[in-house]
Amino acid sequence: MSRISILTPYFKSPFTDFFNDVISAQWGGGPCADLELKALDCLEAYGFSKGLQQCQQQLKDFEECIMKIKQFKRLDAMEKERQRQYKSGERSKEEIYSKNPPVGADIY
Amino acid sequence: MPPPGGYRPISFKRVPPVSYFSGAAMIGGYIGMIAGAAYLYVQNCKAVTKRELETKGASLALYPMLLAERDRAFLKQLRINREEERELMKNVPDWKVGTWYGEPIYLGADKNTYFKPDIAEFYAHSSYEELKKRVDFRFWC
Repeated sequence: MSRISILTPYFKSPFTDFFNDVISAQWGGGPCADLELKALDCLEAYGFSKGLQQCQQQLKDFEECIMKIKQFKRLDAMEKERQRQYKSGERSKEEIYSKNPPVGADIY
Repeated sequence: MPPPGGYRPISFKRVPPVSYFSGAAMIGGYIGMIAGAAYLYVQNCKAVTKRELETKGASLALYPMLLAERDRAFLKQLRINREEERELMKNVPDWKVGTWYGEPIYLGADKNTYFKPDIAEFYAHSSYEELKKRVDFRFWC
């Protein structure tokens, strides 16, 4: 879902139609393509204003896929807990962090 | 005055280079050598192509297995990360493993759906330096 597509109910012209999908998660079959389609289907079913209330779950999922806010919040929480444990003496300096994942054994 | 007996004769006779081969023999020899070299070249070319084909075939045959092994190692590491998180956050109230305080990352997703974690999450239990090393790995050489 592009930012431009959010404009469309209020401001619609052939140009917004044409450039609607210039920015989207569909390009290259990215990981968020399915979630985007689900969100857009839902918005299409309910209409824009009502869809914003009805499709919160789909929109949130898509936003999470794009922005990864919750994932990084989790990482922050874990890092804070780690440092807290180190400062309160539950962890020694050597074992603040665990062993690294093996290099070459990941899919990135 | 000329020396006694006179000057020695001036040498003006043409001295042609010694020709070992006739023209026809040289052209024939050239063609013969080229033909021999071409024969050897083709033989070598065939051998090289065969060898390359075999290497390529072996590589293609091995690739799915290597890919599967890599995926397997990756999934194993995800499991290790999960256990690490459980061990780390056991004292935090309301923390559920794999979620944000009980709220799942993807609300509408099936429980068994796989979402590729971000690389920072994959390195969640390593230090930032290690993540940096991995991310910048391609710039090393």
